[in-house]
Amino acid sequence: MNDSRAGRGQDRNRDVDETRRRLLFSTGVTTVVLGAVGFLGATARFLSPNVLYEPPSRAPIGSPDEFPPGTVTFLPDHRLFLFNNPAGFYAISSVCTHLGCNVRHLAGEGFACPCHGSLFDANGQVIHGPAPQPLSWFALSLSPRGELVVDTRQIVQPEYRFRV
Amino acid sequence: MRTPQRAAVGFHLAFAVLGVVFLAIFSWVFLKEYLTEWRTTQAQFDQLQRRVKDPHALSLAAPLGDIRQVWLPDVDRVDRCTTCHLGIDDPAFATAMEPYTTHPGTWLQTHAPDRFGCTICHGGQGEATDFRNAAHRPIPNWSDPMRPPELMEANCGTCHRERRPSQTFWLERGREVIANAGCIACHDVPGFALDDLRAPRLESVGYKVRPDWLRKWLADPKGYLLQARMPNFRLEAAEIEGLTAFLLAQRETAPLDSAGIDWSKADPDRGRTVFGEARCVTCHTIEGRGGTMGPELTTVGSKVGRDWLFGFIKDPAHDQPGTLMLRYRFTDEQIRDVVAYLTEELVDVETPKTPPEVRYVDPKLVESGRQTFVRHGCYSCHRFTGMMALGKIGPSLVGIGDRAIEPTDFKIEAVVPTRSNWLFLKLREPDRLADESRMPTYGFSETDAAAAVVALLSIRRADLPASRVTDQPRLARYEPQGAFGALVARYRCLSCHQVRGWGGELSTVPFDRIGSQLQHSYLVSYLQLPSAVRVSLEERMPQFHMTREEAETLADYFADVFVDDSLGGDIQLDAEAARRGEQLFQTLGCRGCHIVGRTGGYVGPDLSDSGRRLKPGWIEAWLSEPGKWKPGTLQPNYGLKPEEARALTAYLMTLSTDRSGRKP
Amino acid sequence: MSVLTAVGERGLATWRAVRRSIFRVGWPRTDKDRAAAMISSVVLHVHPAKVQRHSLRASYTLGLGLISFYLFGVLIVTGVVLMLYYTPHPPDAYRSMKDLQFVVTFGLVLRNMHRWAAHAMVFVVFLHMCRVFFTGGYKGPRQFNWVVGVGLLLLTLGLSFTGYLLPWDQLAFWAITVGSNIAGYAPWLGAEVKYLLLGGNVIGAGALLRFYVLHCIILPLLAIMLVAVHFYRVRKDGLSAPPLPEPPPVEEMVAGRFPPSTRSYGLMALTDRPAQPVVEAEPDDEVLAWPHLLYRELLLLLVVLVVLHAVALLFNAPLEEIADPTRTPNPAKAPWYFLGLQELVSYSAFVGGVLVPTLMVLVLVLIPYLDPAPRGVGVWFAPERSWANRVFAALASVTILVTLVGMFFRGPNWAWVWPWTQ
Repeated sequence: MNDSRAGRGQDRNRDVDETRRRLLFSTGVTTVVLGAVGFLGATARFLSPNVLYEPPSRAPIGSPDEFPPGTVTFLPDHRLFLFNNPAGFYAISSVCTHLGCNVRHLAGEGFACPCHGSLFDANGQVIHGPAPQPLSWFALSLSPRGELVVDTRQIVQPEYRFRV
Repeated sequence: MRTPQRAAVGFHLAFAVLGVVFLAIFSWVFLKEYLTEWRTTQAQFDQLQRRVKDPHALSLAAPLGDIRQVWLPDVDRVDRCTTCHLGIDDPAFATAMEPYTTHPGTWLQTHAPDRFGCTICHGGQGEATDFRNAAHRPIPNWSDPMRPPELMEANCGTCHRERRPSQTFWLERGREVIANAGCIACHDVPGFALDDLRAPRLESVGYKVRPDWLRKWLADPKGYLLQARMPNFRLEAAEIEGLTAFLLAQRETAPLDSAGIDWSKADPDRGRTVFGEARCVTCHTIEGRGGTMGPELTTVGSKVGRDWLFGFIKDPAHDQPGTLMLRYRFTDEQIRDVVAYLTEELVDVETPKTPPEVRYVDPKLVESGRQTFVRHGCYSCHRFTGMMALGKIGPSLVGIGDRAIEPTDFKIEAVVPTRSNWLFLKLREPDRLADESRMPTYGFSETDAAAAVVALLSIRRADLPASRVTDQPRLARYEPQGAFGALVARYRCLSCHQVRGWGGELSTVPFDRIGSQLQHSYLVSYLQLPSAVRVSLEERMPQFHMTREEAETLADYFADVFVDDSLGGDIQLDAEAARRGEQLFQTLGCRGCHIVGRTGGYVGPDLSDSGRRLKPGWIEAWLSEPGKWKPGTLQPNYGLKPEEARALTAYLMTLSTDRSGRKP
Repeated sequence: MSVLTAVGERGLATWRAVRRSIFRVGWPRTDKDRAAAMISSVVLHVHPAKVQRHSLRASYTLGLGLISFYLFGVLIVTGVVLMLYYTPHPPDAYRSMKDLQFVVTFGLVLRNMHRWAAHAMVFVVFLHMCRVFFTGGYKGPRQFNWVVGVGLLLLTLGLSFTGYLLPWDQLAFWAITVGSNIAGYAPWLGAEVKYLLLGGNVIGAGALLRFYVLHCIILPLLAIMLVAVHFYRVRKDGLSAPPLPEPPPVEEMVAGRFPPSTRSYGLMALTDRPAQPVVEAEPDDEVLAWPHLLYRELLLLLVVLVVLHAVALLFNAPLEEIADPTRTPNPAKAPWYFLGLQELVSYSAFVGGVLVPTLMVLVLVLIPYLDPAPRGVGVWFAPERSWANRVFAALASVTILVTLVGMFFRGPNWAWVWPWTQ
């Protein structure tokens, strides 16, 4: 009789012991797993740069006098064509929307991309070729010092003209 | 007994505890990152801008939560100041508290943030994103902390390298101090040239000065003359003796012969008259009154020998080829009288009248004086022949604005070890910073020394691209030749006047177009006997005692060469126009500033003799647009129509004080 | 409904099959499984299935070798991520350090961890070497492993030294100036080695690039290879030499030249195959690696990570002004682990720069061959090896002392200063 009671006590002790083990072990495992997940998340966040050493999207491109009326100028640093038209200035991106090559301007006709043969009309709309989107038009403004400023993050419609 | 293959409970406990501790510390990493100073600052700004801006403006505002930076690759700077200074270019935040407040003044209109960033003007560590590391106050390991406002003009000077940058007080003054003090003699100072130096040649000084004067001068130049340009070299008595011996032995060119002069007949009173007519005080000071282009003459009689003075006045360039002083056309008797006046009246009463005689000159003393002369770099300023190849004795000041100052550079521990403090101390008391400093004591006032510190701090090490730098154009030397050139050299016109920016600044009349401004006959008579045109000015052109031929040569050259074709042309000047002009003269109130006849104001020149003095083409051009010919002039631009200007010109051309003509 | 259960069961079966293909042995519940798990996993099979009890005692090894391995792992992980933002070209190198400090998310704490782990690793490796010496762990059959360890010590110093230059600040530049000049004192080869190391005569872009490649590729690869050899030997020679009573008589040797008590056991120890090696000889001395060894290793890893994180969060790695070849700080000090040499060099360039380092390395490498007698293994400061212990302790103390002098008691112009007066 005493043995069985002692045996039962031992069983209970073993159960309590077992639960405690499980609890502690799971706590430890959970924290480690959380830590590992946290570490992966932290690494992913780390990998994304917070500042870029790239030219700003809003940048001056020169005084309006540098672009005579009726001309189109290719600005390689900003990758755009600047048109000076009787109705005003406008800027069309030279970056082909297919895979990013610089398109060439065909006077009077539009643009052609040398990489895969995309053709765009004078407004940048796709006529032919693998390009999925038309060429972007960028907003223009005037800086306090009287320079033309292009904002490559502000996309405008092809009817856009900027009068100085 | 079989070993239990299960870990002891203690391990599980340790595992759980360590795991929790690890997680806690790991979360601290995240907390530290996401509770950074700039995020908190931006959060507060977000609340502020919701209060200050209307919803429409709010929708246009740039989103928060990012680090903002201006990257200037051409000057290799990255400025992240705008991460916290979020309202810097938005007028809506003019009354907000720091760091959100708008930038004061109109500086951002001329220095756009996207082209200049912040640290170019303010200093500091642009890469940082918290207050302390941005070096708002000095921090270790960053040698370019934010400049306090009083030193900020030094940063202006890094790009604005002209001698007188506009809108700066300290920088302009500091550069002037450096030019006047002659730092360029001993140091390489970017932006300053040896042309700025003004020190007499010493190759023949043995004939010139009295030994007792020389000793006193060497011991303390400012004791003789408060505005002395020469600093105090803190010489010991032995050095002074040696230098005196050395200098008195310099007798290269004997002064002009004054042997035939009968000094007994000298008349100091007549000399004083000649002195006054020659208007020597235009350039020389006597007892505090006069100009500063030349040395002070209050006690010149105790300084120089009589014979030397005679020879000098007769031909200054004989002894000092680069002198600014002209060669008057005096007779020998006039010079004798002037010298008598100078040596008898302008003396130091404490000095004996006759200088002590020097009997024996010890060659060893002369040699030691020569070594002192070399050691202290005297040859640099005084451009002593044969010694110029020795070079400058001081270290180059290139990059002094970036020079690292260690606390050990200071011998005085009570001073905060900053660069500006070190420079200030160095300028004011060079001997306190280093034991064997050869740098002399200039006796700068605190203001001058502070200004010079600002100017020095603007000399940085980094090269700036040309697109960032403004500078005054280099002036081409103007050295006329021929008969005209000989006259200009004799009468030293360029000591006071300028041609194409080259010359002195005492006169307000440059020669560039003088042939189109003034009539030939007027010039001829004026050069022989200058008269006051501006009654309010103290400085007048001296009388040179020029011959008529000389005056004609000069006037001819002016009329032939210094013309402006746009000011020529015939102008119809009829009586009708003159009458209209006279009415205009009354309506515009010109007499408020100009004298015509006996009445008028003192601000502008006397116009009573305009008909014989000025040329009509010039008058018309001047009246039409005064600011074009003389920027900053007080003459108002009345916006005259061409016929109005012509009418006024016609009227003015009728004005003349000729006895045979009409008196206005 | 039955379709769903069928699909579900099928999915579950596939899932289990995929799992089993990766983890051949699931979470072990039996001793056999525990042993099998050790040898069936590429990651775990560096451990034996069973280990001797004594090798688990923390007081015996202090886990120093394991700590240095963990530190190496931390250094590799943090180093690789830091490489994504670092530019090995002056002056962009300095700018990239500033960026890591200010704008890169977690950049500051990662850089701190990298730096403090590096310093800790040099110190821990040194302590590990002392521990192995004092417990006679270099005696046979572990002689060559000791030599590999010396190689690893030199690689650790080399890694720390090459990494020291990378921030391109005054501290880095002048420390490497001093260090490379010390190296240049070696006769005949010194100048050439210095020229190759710097890629020229001055410390400039070429030096930085070479140090970068050494630090990130060449030396780590060499270190990984030597670590592999080192671990293999540790595994094969038995984890941590046990106390040797006496050399056993020859006829008791089985399975090779090594006495049975030093062998480690694999799975075979537990099979029922008739021809089994001697297992019952000292059964109580062995326990299964899973969980005893692994659990201890895991806890030690957690301790190391916790300490590293705390230190990285509390103390910032130094970054002084950008390297300026025209301005020498006063004093200019080598990295702390070379300060002992710099102290000696201040007395004599040859002695400090050439003689002492060469002798040190030579003596270290030869130690197991100078003292091959298998006495006093497995206990700290065994009395049979007292003179060896004393000599080594003296030399180690002198090294530490000279390093401390260089660190704290030398001021401007290398003059003696009392650190509390600074």
